[in-house]
Amino acid sequence: MLRGTLWPWLLLLPAFVALGSVALYPIVNGIYLSFTNTSLISRTDDFTGFDNYARLMGDALFWKAWGHTMWFTAVSTLLETLIGLAMALVLVEAFPGRGIVRAAMLIPWAMPTVVTSKMFGWLFDGQFGVINYVLLQLGLIDQNVNWYGSPDTAMWTIIIADVWKTTPFMALLLLTGLQTIPASLTEAARMDGAKAWATFWHVRLPLLLPTLLIAGMLRALDAFRVFDLVYVLTGGGPGDSTETLSTLSYKVLFATLQFGYGSTISTAMFITEGLIALVFVIFMVSQLRRLS
Amino acid sequence: MTHTAKGPVHGPVKLADRSMTSRRQFLQTSAAFGAAGMAGLGVTRARAQSRVEISFASAAFFGKESFGDLCDTFNESQDRIFVRFIELPPPSSSTEVFQGLVQQLARADGTPDVFSQDVIWIAGFAEAGWALPLGEYFPDTKDYFSGTVAACTYNNQLTALPWFMDSGMLYYRRDILEKMGAEVPTTWDQMATLAAAAQGAGDAEFGYLWQGKQAEVLVCDAVEIITSNNGAILAADGKSALVNQPEAVAAIQFLYDTIATTKISPQNVLSWDEEPSRMPFTAGRGTFMRNWSYVYPIAQDPAASDVVDKVGVAPLPAFDGGKSAACLGGYQLGINANSKYREAAVEFLTWLSSAEVQQRIALNFGLAPTRANLFDDATIKAEQPFMASLQSVFTGATARPITPKYSEVSLALQSGISKAFVSGNVQAEMDALATEINRIVA
Repeated sequence: MLRGTLWPWLLLLPAFVALGSVALYPIVNGIYLSFTNTSLISRTDDFTGFDNYARLMGDALFWKAWGHTMWFTAVSTLLETLIGLAMALVLVEAFPGRGIVRAAMLIPWAMPTVVTSKMFGWLFDGQFGVINYVLLQLGLIDQNVNWYGSPDTAMWTIIIADVWKTTPFMALLLLTGLQTIPASLTEAARMDGAKAWATFWHVRLPLLLPTLLIAGMLRALDAFRVFDLVYVLTGGGPGDSTETLSTLSYKVLFATLQFGYGSTISTAMFITEGLIALVFVIFMVSQLRRLS
Repeated sequence: MTHTAKGPVHGPVKLADRSMTSRRQFLQTSAAFGAAGMAGLGVTRARAQSRVEISFASAAFFGKESFGDLCDTFNESQDRIFVRFIELPPPSSSTEVFQGLVQQLARADGTPDVFSQDVIWIAGFAEAGWALPLGEYFPDTKDYFSGTVAACTYNNQLTALPWFMDSGMLYYRRDILEKMGAEVPTTWDQMATLAAAAQGAGDAEFGYLWQGKQAEVLVCDAVEIITSNNGAILAADGKSALVNQPEAVAAIQFLYDTIATTKISPQNVLSWDEEPSRMPFTAGRGTFMRNWSYVYPIAQDPAASDVVDKVGVAPLPAFDGGKSAACLGGYQLGINANSKYREAAVEFLTWLSSAEVQQRIALNFGLAPTRANLFDDATIKAEQPFMASLQSVFTGATARPITPKYSEVSLALQSGISKAFVSGNVQAEMDALATEINRIVA
């Protein structure tokens, strides 16, 4: 009998050890560090209770970065979902050259983000940028805009770069979702005289909703960690207007080597991501209940 | 398919391609190489055993040779000390170099014995007790530029030895100044007036190019202009902020005005670090620019520059009653406080910072010496005439705030000054910044 219960656990052990050492241990250790004043430079390493969290509550820069990150996550996820859905709806139809278009669509997503960042750095350059040139020629602006050098436009520039890069990923996920919807349903709708919009709204969208929510959640959790674009394009400036939680925690952890307070910021990120995921999951469960 | 028989194998070998015979050959060959390798190692070991072995960690600089070559020369020059070189990432990855050094020094096991460090880390390493105080070994530092010695001193103790340096400087368009019949400006107001005049006459689109991006270089631009108005970021004891004092505020206000009022600088400077500010200048679109020494060779390269032979370099201007200041950069030498071989480390350090080796670094790496008299050296004058002309610039070299918490202070400065440029409310932002810095250094 003992053998009967022990054996499956033994088989699971390697997976537990692997997950425990690469996922669980860093999280637990990070949370522990967030309660200490560990710093390599001042060589302190004491448990300080909630001191770091008290400091975090009053840290204006942290809350600013938190706000920027949430704003970035919400806007970029929304835009990527809408544009991605439109792309998926086009690509699910049969047309000549569809295979090539589907493959080409993925190129932005396949590029390393640092490359994308440098590329958008040049496109949106205030002096030599193509975007300014085109807008000037079209008469939409009357002088060069300093895209990522002005607090009014810097975050938008980063959002545009992220949307360009990650929309294909959303389109791909939604395309797979669309392909699981039986063609018989849309055909039946057409036979009943439904126009394209009605078919989409009443047949495809409800069936696509679970995929949409899962894709949205994956994207939101990923967008929340935005680092490369900010780090390369603006360094968090001008005037902290693009500082995000990832860049802030990187600076505190690795430039100033305050592992304690840096871990507090990371833990706050961890909690916020958990809450975002929770909201999505609650919404998803309620939708699935409604469907069944 | 017998790569193996031909000699050493580069890259992965496809196992499937190999017949039994060639596999045996492969084994034999690799065994032979292994033996040769062991023998080689044995030789080094044997040589090292009769000598004291110390290690030297440094960011990787390249020129006509590398720092590893310097270690080789030292190893061949005597038979008591053997230096092993630990290569860190290049200086462009400064944060990674810093992390690499901190990880090794924090282990406190004596490795590396000798290291090179960016000027801004010196106070932190000294405060952490990682850097050996060097005063007793190097009592006489008058041959070095005073700014570099100040940067190497923490709590009145010399904890680093000057090695090579760079600093901020004023680039100007000689042809434009000649056309206007003007001298090179020595005050900021003269500079602003000339810059605006050149813009008005259509000689250059921009008057003054500088670096306002929320990055380390912004701290450098700020240190220079604040110091040149007799102001400072930190009090001399490093325990309180002076950034909200009238001298500092007026200096930052001047930089803000170049964008907002006098319009000699484009609003783009707020997103510019070194290279974006350099490009319009070498494209002939600016009259004045603040930058480091690396720009000069580019400005003189016909393939990359429209202003060949039209560019001059001078110390940065100052305010009335102030003195020109140039933000000090470069790597300085230190000894690990936990080193087991202090005397050997001191001997190697003395050699590295000697006039002879500094001259070699100047010629082969293009890195400027910290010994003032080398700027009169005939070989350097002949081979690096531009470097030799920088003596007057480097005399004004000024250290960034000396505090063990420099990296925290620097992030606060980047954020606070950037906010002042964005909002234009300089006094209020400097007050907030002073509060933040006081919290950090208190």
